Amino acid sequence: MNSNDLLRTALRGLRTNRARAAMTMLGIVIGVASVALMLSLGRSFQSYILTQIDRFGTNTIDIFPVGLEKFGGNLDSLTLDDARAVARLSTVRSVAPVIVVGKPVRFEDEERSPMVMGTTREIFGNYGLELEAGRLLDAHDDDSTRFVTVLAADTARELFGDIDPVGRRVDIGGFSFTVVGVLKGMGSLLLQDLDSMVYVPFNVARSITAQKHVTYITLKAAADPQLAKQDILSLLRQRHRIRNPENDPDKDDVIVRSAEQVTSIVQSVTLGLTVFLGLVAAISLIVGGIGIMNIMLASVTERTREIGLRKAVGARHRDILWQFLCEAVSLTAFGGAVGLLFGTGMGWMLTRVASRFLGEVPFALSPVGAILALVMAAGTGLVFGVFPARKAARLSPMEALRYE
Amino acid sequence: MTAMTPPLLETRSLGKIYLNDDVETPVLFDVSLAITKGEFVAIMGPSGSGKSTLMHILGFLDTHTSGDFLFQGEQTQAFDDDALARIRATRVSFVFQAFNLLPRTTVFDNVLLPLLYHPTIPTSEREARTNKAIAAVGLTDRATFFSSQLSGGQKQRVAIARALVTDPEVIFADEPTGNLDSASGAAVMEALQKLNDAGHTIILVTHESETAAHAKRIIRLHDGRVVEDTTSFKRRVANENTKLK
Ligand SMILES: Nc1ncnc2c1ncn2[C@@H]1O[C@H](COP(=O)(O)OP(=O)(O)OP(=O)(O)O)[C@@H](O)[C@H]1O
Ligand SMILES: [Mg+2]
Repeated sequence: MNSNDLLRTALRGLRTNRARAAMTMLGIVIGVASVALMLSLGRSFQSYILTQIDRFGTNTIDIFPVGLEKFGGNLDSLTLDDARAVARLSTVRSVAPVIVVGKPVRFEDEERSPMVMGTTREIFGNYGLELEAGRLLDAHDDDSTRFVTVLAADTARELFGDIDPVGRRVDIGGFSFTVVGVLKGMGSLLLQDLDSMVYVPFNVARSITAQKHVTYITLKAAADPQLAKQDILSLLRQRHRIRNPENDPDKDDVIVRSAEQVTSIVQSVTLGLTVFLGLVAAISLIVGGIGIMNIMLASVTERTREIGLRKAVGARHRDILWQFLCEAVSLTAFGGAVGLLFGTGMGWMLTRVASRFLGEVPFALSPVGAILALVMAAGTGLVFGVFPARKAARLSPMEALRYE
Repeated sequence: MTAMTPPLLETRSLGKIYLNDDVETPVLFDVSLAITKGEFVAIMGPSGSGKSTLMHILGFLDTHTSGDFLFQGEQTQAFDDDALARIRATRVSFVFQAFNLLPRTTVFDNVLLPLLYHPTIPTSEREARTNKAIAAVGLTDRATFFSSQLSGGQKQRVAIARALVTDPEVIFADEPTGNLDSASGAAVMEALQKLNDAGHTIILVTHESETAAHAKRIIRLHDGRVVEDTTSFKRRVANENTKLK
């Protein structure tokens, strides 16, 4: 049997048993599509998070009380004096203390509860925030405790609609503030919506909350973030009278985290996520595989008789094997290609939908995943299509023809 | 043919025991016979006597379990899969008692099937040969029908066409007229007769004495043993003798 006959026989075999071929292909399509989808979602999510972090710069460092991360931990271990002391370190720059004011914001009948941050002008640079209209907060606002505020894009739109907010007055926790600026829409950063923030001068926040401590401090490393972190930790330990030469994080009352560190955390979290999604996909691949298996097993009797007949009229062992291999390969190739297209298309669509809510989510392909899925699908096809065929081809023609 | 030429097919004390899940069913015992090129042999015997079993072994479709089976003097046990496949593709063909057509496949493709595995018949001849074989059994108007759309007799004729398509030396036919009316049965026998006249070896199983009358030799089986093996000449003499008595 030449290769032309072989291919034609295989394709004819698939055409003769359309339902069987279609069901098998469906199993492969589902399996491959879900693997391609899940893995590309995992990768897309990872690259989304990493772009986000990049945007805010890997030299950004946050200092916050352990209580923000550990339940029952200290929440008021940071003070403005701490922030000032940190600012004097040569390894840091652009230090911005933050007090979060838990108060609603109102304009006429519209009331919202965005995050109100009492902070200094450095924060805009640290978070890469840009101005749409008006001006940012400046040192004078802080020094003279002016009741002025800068609104992020969504908050401004929700409160004011089409009205230009600059120059108007809003009410924050019973105090009247003049809007001096509106920020550009930025999307979100690490799943925190940057566009629903409200910024007021640090000293104003301090006076209306009567709060002695700061919620957290954000700054940039002047050079090496690692070095800056070390300096900050030893300074704060000294100020808070904590002896911790062995660097035991349980002994500290603050956490100093660089974006660099966040990057690696995110990387391991999203890796975990990808593995998890991969497992989900593997399950559907197995389900698809079981489908294929069922169909193949259901047709073993008929196919065994077919093999018996082909051998009776002169087919060699390898003619039979090649025929079944060809069938399996064509099925897997078709099904795999359709599955890949389908899964990738779904992944692309989902990232487009997600982009509407989370800011640009880049779409990432997972070639390794795609290859893996194809190999597994091919494996299933081979094991459940070619293996029984091989067994049948070893029988004498009559044994195969009698099979039931 | 010299005396030195070995017979085409030869069995020596051949036995067959079917084995299914540890259950042994002995079917053939001590079968010794030789068939030379060009013979026309009818195998007869009651149902269950082992006719089909013997045919399958002689047609290289099944294996025996004791004794010897020789092809042109060579022990067939020594043949590997490729050698057996080549013999099945080029030297012998088989009309099954149960037809064994491919389901959901047209008459044309069923008849064409052996040509796909024939090592020497060129691709260009396939269509003509297939059509010729189909015409020989009178099914030209049914060539595009699926095997499921045929009557029992038509299926039998497709099975016969498939056996003729490679023009093999030896044709085994297991009750080839069993499902046919006397007219088509006679036509099939005539076709086989012509093939035999042209030098082909024909071995068939039949219950009908009319059909057996075409054969020059009758092998009669009973409970898996050869109880009679006669040429038509001997038969005639035997018949005369019984008539005389
Ligand atoms: N695969 C098998 N396993 C076990 N026994 C079998 C098998 N095939 C046939 N037999 C037995 O072998 C005996 C001979 O069967 P075979 O088909 O050769 O008979 P036959 O002479 O062709 O009969 P018929 O005229 O009815 O076709 C029967 O008793 C049958 O039950
Ligand atoms: Mg029989």
